[in-house]
Amino acid sequence: MNKADRTRIIIASAVASAIFTGFSARLVHIHISKHEEYSRLAAEKHTVRQVIHAKRGMILDRNGEILAANLPVRTVFADASHIKNPQDLADLADLAASRLELDAKELAEKFATGKKYIVLKRQVPEQVTMDLFEEMRNRKLRGLYSEKDSIRTYPNATMLGHIIGFLNHERKGIQGIERVFDAELAGTGGYRYIERDRTGREIVPYRGLEVEPEHGRDVRLTIDMHLQAILEEELDATYKELSPETVTAILVDPKTGGILAMGCRPAFDPNNPGGAEPEQMKNRAIIDMVEPGSTFKIVVAAAALNEGKVDEKSSIFCENGRFAYGGRTLRDHHGYGHMTVHDILVKSSNIGSAKMALMMGADKYYEYVRRFGFGERLGIELPGEIPGLVHPPSRWDKLTITRMPMGHAVAVTPLQIAMSMAVIANGGKLMAPRVVESLEAKDERGTTTKTPVVLRDVVPEKTARFVGNALAAVTQPGGTATYARVNGFSVAGKTGTAQKVSPKGGYAAGKYVVSFAGFMPVEDPRFVCLVIVDDAKVPSNLNYGGLVAAPIFSRICEKAARYLDLTPTLPAIPLMDSSLAKNNNSTLKQD
Amino acid sequence: MNMPAIEAPCRHNPVQIGKILRMFLCLAPLLAGGLSFVYLKNQQFALGEQIRQTERAIRETRAENEVLLARVTSLTSRRALQERVATGFISVVPVSGDKIARLTPPAQDTDTTALRTAFNGASLQ
Repeated sequence: MNKADRTRIIIASAVASAIFTGFSARLVHIHISKHEEYSRLAAEKHTVRQVIHAKRGMILDRNGEILAANLPVRTVFADASHIKNPQDLADLADLAASRLELDAKELAEKFATGKKYIVLKRQVPEQVTMDLFEEMRNRKLRGLYSEKDSIRTYPNATMLGHIIGFLNHERKGIQGIERVFDAELAGTGGYRYIERDRTGREIVPYRGLEVEPEHGRDVRLTIDMHLQAILEEELDATYKELSPETVTAILVDPKTGGILAMGCRPAFDPNNPGGAEPEQMKNRAIIDMVEPGSTFKIVVAAAALNEGKVDEKSSIFCENGRFAYGGRTLRDHHGYGHMTVHDILVKSSNIGSAKMALMMGADKYYEYVRRFGFGERLGIELPGEIPGLVHPPSRWDKLTITRMPMGHAVAVTPLQIAMSMAVIANGGKLMAPRVVESLEAKDERGTTTKTPVVLRDVVPEKTARFVGNALAAVTQPGGTATYARVNGFSVAGKTGTAQKVSPKGGYAAGKYVVSFAGFMPVEDPRFVCLVIVDDAKVPSNLNYGGLVAAPIFSRICEKAARYLDLTPTLPAIPLMDSSLAKNNNSTLKQD
Repeated sequence: MNMPAIEAPCRHNPVQIGKILRMFLCLAPLLAGGLSFVYLKNQQFALGEQIRQTERAIRETRAENEVLLARVTSLTSRRALQERVATGFISVVPVSGDKIARLTPPAQDTDTTALRTAFNGASLQ
C-alpha cells in the first residue's frame, strides 16, 4: 500500500469516526442528559390516569332486606380516530345501530368527524355491551369502547321512598338517607396509571401507581320492612277510602328511639323522581307542622303532676263545660264538674287541662313543653327536619296558656308527637329518634353501630306510669278512643282533633287534622304508633281522632303485634263495626 | 520446451477455529443475555395480556353478578311479590294440620301457659 492509499483510508476512517462519534454523542445526550424530559413527554403521551369507581353501598332494613341496590350499566362511546377504513366505518355504524337501537346514518356521520370521544348511548345494559364487543371482536372491528356506570334501583318503589331518598344524575344524594349518608355510601374512588398501545389496549407490564378504591359502606336502617309494609298498606287504604290531603303514620321503639316504620301519603317512586310533584316528595313526618290537638294534653298532665301542682287524687273543677278566661269562653264537649287528672285525660277535658297549666304558670309550663322535645329538632338522620313553632311566654297573649294545653297555639311535627308519647311509654325518658342502625363495610372499617341516646329525663318514671295508665283508660269503654283497642292487648293512647289553620289566617271551616298517638302493650311497651289524617273527606260530625285515626291505629297495631309475636294479656273483646260505617253519633267523644 | 513453473500466490484464508471459538465463548454470555432478555420481555407481555384478559373476565363476572343481584332483589321485593299476589300468580294457602311436620314440639311461654307455635326471634331485639 502506497502512501497515497494510506492517506485516503485514514481520512475516510476519520470522517466515519467523526460521524459515528457525533451520532453517539447525540444518543448519549438524548438518553442520559435529556432522559427525564423525554421520559416525561413520553409518559404524558401514553400514560392515562384510569379511574376505578367505588361501588356505592346498599341501604338495608334491620333484617338485611335490600332497599337500594346498584344495577351496572355502561356508557358506550366511539373513538372515531380508530376507524380509518370506510367499509369498517359503515359496518361499525350498522352494528352499533342495531345493538344500541340508534340510527345507522346518524352514527356514520358522527364517526366521519374523526373525533376521539363521541358518546353514543348512556345506561346501556351490561349484557348488550358485552354482546356488542364480542361481535366487534369476531368481525375484527375497532373504534367503540365503554365506560362503567351504574343505576341506583329501589326495588320497593314508593314504599319507604321518603326515607331512602334518591340520587341526581351526578349520583349525588338528593333526599333521605341517600343525601345524609352520601359520603359513606359513595365511598372513595381509586385510580391507576396505565399505558396504552396504538390500538388503545392497556400495556399491563407498564402499569404505574395504583390506589385501590374504598367502596361505600352499607347503611342498615332501624326500619323493619314487615312493619313498614303493614303501615303502608293502611296508609294506602286510608288515602283511597277517606281521600285526605295527607296521611302520616310512624311506628317507633320507645326504648331505643329507633324508627320501626314511617310513611306518608302522597308518596313518590324514587326510581322516577322526575315524575313526582314536589308535594309528593315531602316527608311529612318531619317537615310538616300541625296543631297537635288533644294529644298535647299529656304534656300538661305530666308537668302538673311532676311539679306537685296536682296529685293523683286532686280534683279540678271543670266549670260544667264553660270556662270564661281572658274575655273568651273555653268549652268542653260535655259539661264536667270535678274531675281528677286521670279523668281529665280520659275525657279529654280542655278546661281541666287549661286549669292545670294556669296552676303551673306560663314559664314552667313552657319549660315542660320544651323538655318533651317540642320546638327543637330531635336530630333524626333525615334531611329537612323542622323544629316546629313554640313561642316563648314573652310572646304569648292572654289566651295562649289556656289554648296551648289542648294543642292549639303551637305547631309541631308528627315525629315530635310520636316521641312525646314515647316519653310516657319509656318511663319518662326522651330518646333521640334514629333511623340508622349501623354502617357496615366488609373491609377493615367493619361495622359501626349507632347506640341509642337518651336526650333527657323529662319526668320521673312514676309520673310517666301514672299518665300511661290514664291513657290506657282512653281506649276503654267510656274513653274517647274505644276504636283504638287491639284484641287481647292493653293499649294506651290519646286522640287529637284540631281544626286546620287556614293559609289566609284563622282556621279553615270544616277542615280537621285528626290523630291518634298510642303505645302497646301498656305493661311493657314494644312500640309507639302515631296516625295523623289531614282533612279526611268525611262528614264533620265524624271527623274525630277517635273515629278516623284510632281504627287505623288499631289495625296497624294488631298486625304489628301478630308479626312481633306478642303474647296477649287480655281476653278477646267482641268485634266492633267500622267506626265510619257505623256512623253512630252516640259514640262521639270529645277529642 | 519446458516452461518454468510459476508458483501461484497463496490467496486462501485459513479458518481459525480456535479464534472463532474463543470469540464465541466471549460473546456467548452476551448473546444468552440478549436472548433471555427478549424471551423474558415476551413472557412479561404475554403474562400482562393474560392478566388483562383475566381482569376483564373478573370484571364481567362481577358485573353479571351485580345484574343478577339487582334482578333477584327486584323480583323478590315486597312490591313485586305483592303484585304477584294481587294478580293471583302466587297465593297464600292455609296449611292443613296433617301437612305440618313438627320438628320441635310447641314451646310453653314462661310467663303464661300459652303454647307458642312460632317464635320470631329476629324481631325481638
